[in-house]
Amino acid sequence: MVVGEVAVETDVVVIGGGPGGYAAAIRLGQLGKSVVLIEKEVLGGVCLNRGCIPSKALIHTAGEYHKLNRLNKLGIQLPTGKATFHMPSWQTWKSSVVAQLNKGIDYLCQANGVTVVKGTATFLSSDRIGVETGGDFETYKCKQAIIATGSRPFIPSFLKTDGEYILDSTDMLALDDVPETLAIIGGGYIGMELGMAFAKLGSQVTIIEASERILPQTAAHLSQEVLKQAKQLGMTVKIATKVEKAEVANGRVTLVCTSEKNGSESITAHKTLVTIGRVPNTGELGLAQAGVEMDERGYIPVTSTGSTNKAHIYAIGDVTPGPALAHRAAKQGIVAAEVIAGLPSSVDSPFVPYVIFTEPQIAGVGMTRDEAELQGYKVKAATFPYRANGRALAIDEGEGFAEVIVDQESHLLLGMHIVGADASNLIGEGVLALELAARVEDVALTMHPHPTLSEVWLEAAEAVLGHAIHIVNKSK
Amino acid sequence: MVEFKLPDVGEGMHEGEIVKVLVRTGESVQQDQPLLEVQTDKVNAELSAPVTGIIRDIFIAEGEIVEVGTTLLVIDAGTEVEVKTETKHPEKVVNPDKTVHFTPARADHRRSLATPYVRQLAREMKLDIELVTGTGAAGRVTEEDLRQFANRLQKSAPAKFPTSATGNERLLEASTAAIETEPIVQSKTGTATRAATSSQGGIERLPLKGIRKKIAEHMVKSVTIIPHVTSVDELEMDQLRALRETLRPHAEKRNIKLTFLPFFIKALVIALKEFPTLNASIDERTNEILLKRFYHIGIATDTPEGLIVPVIKDADHKSIFQLAEEIDQLARLAREGKLTMEHITGGTFTISNVGPIGGLQATPIINHPEVAIISLHKMEKRWVVREDEGVIRWMMNLSLSFDHRLIDGVTAVRFTNRIKELLEDPNLLFAEMV
Ligand SMILES: Cc1cc2nc3c(=O)[nH]c(=O)nc-3n(C[C@H](O)[C@H](O)[C@H](O)COP(=O)(O)OP(=O)(O)OC[C@H]3O[C@@H](n4cnc5c(N)ncnc54)[C@H](O)[C@@H]3O)c2cc1C
Repeated sequence: MVVGEVAVETDVVVIGGGPGGYAAAIRLGQLGKSVVLIEKEVLGGVCLNRGCIPSKALIHTAGEYHKLNRLNKLGIQLPTGKATFHMPSWQTWKSSVVAQLNKGIDYLCQANGVTVVKGTATFLSSDRIGVETGGDFETYKCKQAIIATGSRPFIPSFLKTDGEYILDSTDMLALDDVPETLAIIGGGYIGMELGMAFAKLGSQVTIIEASERILPQTAAHLSQEVLKQAKQLGMTVKIATKVEKAEVANGRVTLVCTSEKNGSESITAHKTLVTIGRVPNTGELGLAQAGVEMDERGYIPVTSTGSTNKAHIYAIGDVTPGPALAHRAAKQGIVAAEVIAGLPSSVDSPFVPYVIFTEPQIAGVGMTRDEAELQGYKVKAATFPYRANGRALAIDEGEGFAEVIVDQESHLLLGMHIVGADASNLIGEGVLALELAARVEDVALTMHPHPTLSEVWLEAAEAVLGHAIHIVNKSK
Repeated sequence: MVEFKLPDVGEGMHEGEIVKVLVRTGESVQQDQPLLEVQTDKVNAELSAPVTGIIRDIFIAEGEIVEVGTTLLVIDAGTEVEVKTETKHPEKVVNPDKTVHFTPARADHRRSLATPYVRQLAREMKLDIELVTGTGAAGRVTEEDLRQFANRLQKSAPAKFPTSATGNERLLEASTAAIETEPIVQSKTGTATRAATSSQGGIERLPLKGIRKKIAEHMVKSVTIIPHVTSVDELEMDQLRALRETLRPHAEKRNIKLTFLPFFIKALVIALKEFPTLNASIDERTNEILLKRFYHIGIATDTPEGLIVPVIKDADHKSIFQLAEEIDQLARLAREGKLTMEHITGGTFTISNVGPIGGLQATPIINHPEVAIISLHKMEKRWVVREDEGVIRWMMNLSLSFDHRLIDGVTAVRFTNRIKELLEDPNLLFAEMV
């Protein structure tokens, strides 16, 4: 520590400029606090630069490309010769999307009086934060601090990523060509999303998942639909299979895997993507100097206001225990900012929606049937299939279903889950319904526009009540 | 359509609590069929249908307090009937004394229903939304519910403890102290209120937080709801001291630290079995008394963080040595801050052992929703009179606070008499051994 250092004083320092950190900083600015936002790379964090946005840009592109094959059925004749995909052009387009969003955040920070500092932050004490800015070292003294340093891919030591053959999701999204063969370790949502996108772009994809099924975080009957599609896309899915070793030779990666069913086998591919989880970026932050406690996995436990064991230090987003999702980070960020400004805010909702951009998409909010039953509810549930929805057939998207789960006694909605085209947008209705404590009748009695996919909710709700129009209702 | 309003069933009552709603919307009802049960401070009355028809709308929920004249429900009698209200047998008292139900404690604690806006408003008003009765559809808490709840709180804040139990006490549950003192700086939903007070010289302001805050909230809730009465007695401890001395070497052989507490617990459990209302709780929502046929004894333990009450489960099934071991273990976990929720929940009765520190008597505060608590005080040699002679004996005071809604003074004293008997002559503990 420099003797006689000069510290810049500010109300709040926010460390990390991801969706959690920048949302917190902007809100603090709105509430009249002086804020310094420290980001070591670029604003927008994982979500904007290496996660949600680039991956969805790729998934969208792959979907469009893949659709070309199906246009024939709709009577559209393409000129002879096959469509091709040029990944470097895609990279240029993606970068322009990301850049535009980066600029937007930068502008919003400025407009709200947030000082953005580029550098790596560490706590020197509970109210002083040091920042290394390319050779320089600055100190900030603050009344409150928000830790929003996010997470990075978890890579086990025997699978060292090299950026060329063994890749993490960041490397994968920066590729300049589509690998001929691709092995993906981990059938969670990132693995399945990227795997299906690359399969659509022409890769031969093999998914290797250690648990009994892909997308183990979702209900089995939802992930089943994705598995069906994966097979149609020609993907190989190995479940209950563990990777023991990875070797790079002659421009290929060979993975040695074991499973109870097949014993030991090896899989060779041009590239391997490792997506088996993420770890919080808390190790290098000097949390001990600040007196902030972590759990044994490095996450920072927080209260519903985002406060850590140090009341004036808050933590939000992927560094806190719970699902690593951008919308959760943003919500926590806004709440922490408001609490700091004296508002009585709280992250008090159990409704954290999830969206998975696989083929078909999966999205949900609230409890699954099993979870509800485990909680002691007597459950009533019904599904409505896409193939009975006019709009779905008219846009050639007949796969999937919507499911509505209600409490048998009160008819309160407990959960809404959907797998099928545009599930990611359709879940918005579910989130609102659950937050507003709606009953299944509320959805069933709401006029939904026709012909739209949103009618699947209407009919699933009616089906729970035993009177859906477009399917034969099961007698109760 | 007939609007059915709350009539004045007692003399000059202004409000009543809806104890039971006996019908549902859509149900058809006959004239004179019972619709609701209301309770006022005087009577419980059954209200019956003034006409035959179909229930179209029900505007109230069980547990709600409504004023006379409030429309309770609407009956569709087929034809337009003049709006009128009528009560059958207003003097008929359905439930004059409290019925004792043998229901086990229920653990169904569901999140209350409300929109995000109303939740935010509750936070701004510093109200615990879980305590507010919702009058919206399916029991949703509405904005209006919050305001009414807050009004009642304010009205009741300076009031004395109610002397009789009506179930209204749950309305007092939120911390009135918090409402009075905590400044609300800025509001998100636009209902701006008081500004922050500045700190004053010579006074250090510390945030009331963590376990201390929880204790504070719990204590306020307890005294606000429960009309406490404390009775004090003194016990002669010489025989128990002798017994403990005899058993101590045996305990030590097994590495057990034998204190007096296990004996107290044993005696307590025996007495609780004989006086079931002391091992009970009151469900303020349903107005039921829950008698518990299990004996989970909380032991109030002093920790660096404050008072924590780990619970010894099924104390009636454990030997003195087992109890001693468990107490030791729990006390250690408590001091190290390692207790889990599992350790500190589910108690049916609490003992507070302040004796080792000192003190003659106290008014221990009942650990809500329990209905009684015992605190044990300093054991000391005192002059007492035995067979007309002054002698020196080891004496100890015991204070019992009890919930006067449920327990009468006579019962409480009989209960302590029984404990006294068992501890003054610990041989009796053997007689009760199972
Ligand atoms: C491939 C992929 C796809 C995803 N898809 C989705 C999706 O569809 N939906 C969804 O909700 N979520 C998705 N996520 C997850 C989402 O990206 C994260 O949950 C989200 O970014 C977490 O936000 P955050 O603010 O907590 O942290 P991050 O976004 O991780 O931001 C943390 C920031 O802190 C900076 N930082 C770290 N340490 C320091 C330091 N010491 N000093 C200064 N700065 C520091 C980092 O550079 C980074 O910019 C995806 C993730 C990946 C990898």
